[in-house]
Formats: sequence, C-alpha cells, structure tokens
Amino acid sequence: MTGNVLGLGIGIAAFGVAIGLGLIGYSAMQGMARQPEAIGKLQTAMLIALAFVELVFLLVVFIVPGSVR
Amino acid sequence: MKAVFETAPLLLAAAGKEGEKGHHGPSFVGLFVYVALVLAVLFALMAYAKPGMSQRVFSGRKLLGLPILGSFEQIYLFIEQMCVGTIGSHGRKYIPMIMTFWMVIFVGNLVALFFPTSPTADLSFNLGIALISIGYVQWEGMRANGVFGHLKHFAGPKLPGALILISAIIFVIELISELMKNVSLSLRLFGNIDGGHQAAVAMNELGKHIIDLGGFELSIPFGAFLLPIKLLTCVVQAMIFSLLTCVYLSLVTHHDDHGDDHGHAPAPAH
Repeated sequence: MTGNVLGLGIGIAAFGVAIGLGLIGYSAMQGMARQPEAIGKLQTAMLIALAFVELVFLLVVFIVPGSVR
Repeated sequence: MKAVFETAPLLLAAAGKEGEKGHHGPSFVGLFVYVALVLAVLFALMAYAKPGMSQRVFSGRKLLGLPILGSFEQIYLFIEQMCVGTIGSHGRKYIPMIMTFWMVIFVGNLVALFFPTSPTADLSFNLGIALISIGYVQWEGMRANGVFGHLKHFAGPKLPGALILISAIIFVIELISELMKNVSLSLRLFGNIDGGHQAAVAMNELGKHIIDLGGFELSIPFGAFLLPIKLLTCVVQAMIFSLLTCVYLSLVTHHDDHGDDHGHAPAPAH
C-alpha cells in the first residue's frame, strides 16, 4: 500500500474523529453555560469521552500502517 | 477480535523494527536514562520537602518561583477530589496510588517538552504503567469482593436458567475488554505524547533553511510554537490516565459498597 492512500485513510479517520470531538465539546460547553455550578462534573465526563473518541484515531494511526502492507 | 492480534505490528513499530518509517524512540538503555531523569526530579522534590517539612513546605516558601505549599496542596486537593468524586466515599484510600500515577506521568510528560524524547513517548514505558494500573485494579477488586466475587463481577448480572450460557459469553468478552484496557491506556498516552513530538518535528522541517543570509542559512524552529498546546496535552493526559484508573477502580469496588450504605452513597458522589 502506498503512503498516499494510507495518508488519505488517516485523513478520513481524522475527519470523523474531529466531528466527534467537536460534538463532545459543543454539548459540554452548552451544558456548562446552562449550569455553571456543574462545571466540575461536566469537565470530568467530557474528558473521559474525549479520551475514548481520541483513542479511535490513535488506534487507526498506529494499527492500520502495521497491518496494511 | 481481530484487533487483539493486530497489536503485534504495533509493538514491532514501537521497538523500531518497522523499517523506513520506524519509531524514533530511545534504545532500552536510553529509555532508562529518561526514566532516571523523571525519578530524579520526583525524588529531588521529596528530598527537598522532607527535612524540616513544616518549615520548608508549610511556611509557604518558594521553589522555582512557585509557592511550594500552594502547589502541592492544590495537586493533593485535585487528586483527592478526583478520587472521592469518581469512586465515592471509600475512594480516599486509593489516593496514594493515583497520586503516584499522576506525578510520574506528569513529570514524564514535562520531560517531553524539554528533551527530544521522554519515557511517556515510548510505548514500553506506558504499557508498563498501564499493566501496573490494571493489575492494581484487579488486586483492589479482589480485596473488596474476594477472588470469587471479583471473577463473578466479570460475568455481568445474574441470569436465570439456561441464560447462564450468555453469562459465559459475557465473561469472555469482559476478560478481553479488561486486557484491552491495558492497550487503550498505554496507546492513548503514547499517541498523544509521541504525536506531539512528531508534529513538532514536522513543523521544524517547514522552517529549515528558510532564511538565506548570503551563504549562511537560518532555520526557524516552528515546532516551538507547539509548546503551549503540548503543555496542555501533558496536563490533560496525566489527568485522563489517573481519572480512568479511578473509573476502573470504581467499577470494580462498587458492589460491596452498594449493599452496606446504600442510603448515604449518593451524597459523597458529588
């Protein structure tokens, strides 16, 4: 597999993951604006969700180049 | 299921055997130099704080311009709030372990800002920390529920009759997910810290020999502009690792608490 196709695939993965991260940030910010006293709890939950979505991209980046050849 | 076996090329890549686009991490000995650096920073802080602790630490003296009392107190309160908020009222006894994880990972991440590589930018170190973390979670689960109770916890809810077959399937799936927790914890930390390095290297490449002063070529290290966001990543990744350890601990040690003091359990969860 050539590097260009691999780069395109990783770009597509980044596209989806960026949308996911944006949705998480969007809804967390909306929640924080509506309920400023819950900021601590919302931040914790938001960070956990961010970590899980981010992991998908990291899996793609580190596993796909190793398995496609 | 396939993903379990696909980690082999990943480990090969981390060992630098992948070939042309291999991993630029340190060798085995080089990694230990960086680990020693992290431990030296941590032990130096402790050695500074230990003799005459009440005068040095609690009188608000400054170390490197920071009020040492304030900073350590803030770190402790932050970790305590994380543990008690996530695990519940019995979460206070896990603070030492979580604090250790946080400090080792945070200092390891800070090393990444000043040096070409760092322990946490190497998959082997991260996998070691993740194995310790998940092993500790199992140990605490067994201490809280007993060995059999902990294993039963993997089988999910109690199902009647022939549905015990489903319990067996859930047990296998839970075991696999428990193993994958190691991979996810280590890979997340490694990807974030090493990804920051790769991004800085790529941006340095942009500014290479960009100014020509008549035979003398000047480079601009554009990667240095990434330092603020790398600092943010350092803090957030150390926090996420310890937070996820807290979450796993709370999942595993939840059951015995549920029966005993069901009444006032929601109150400390705030």
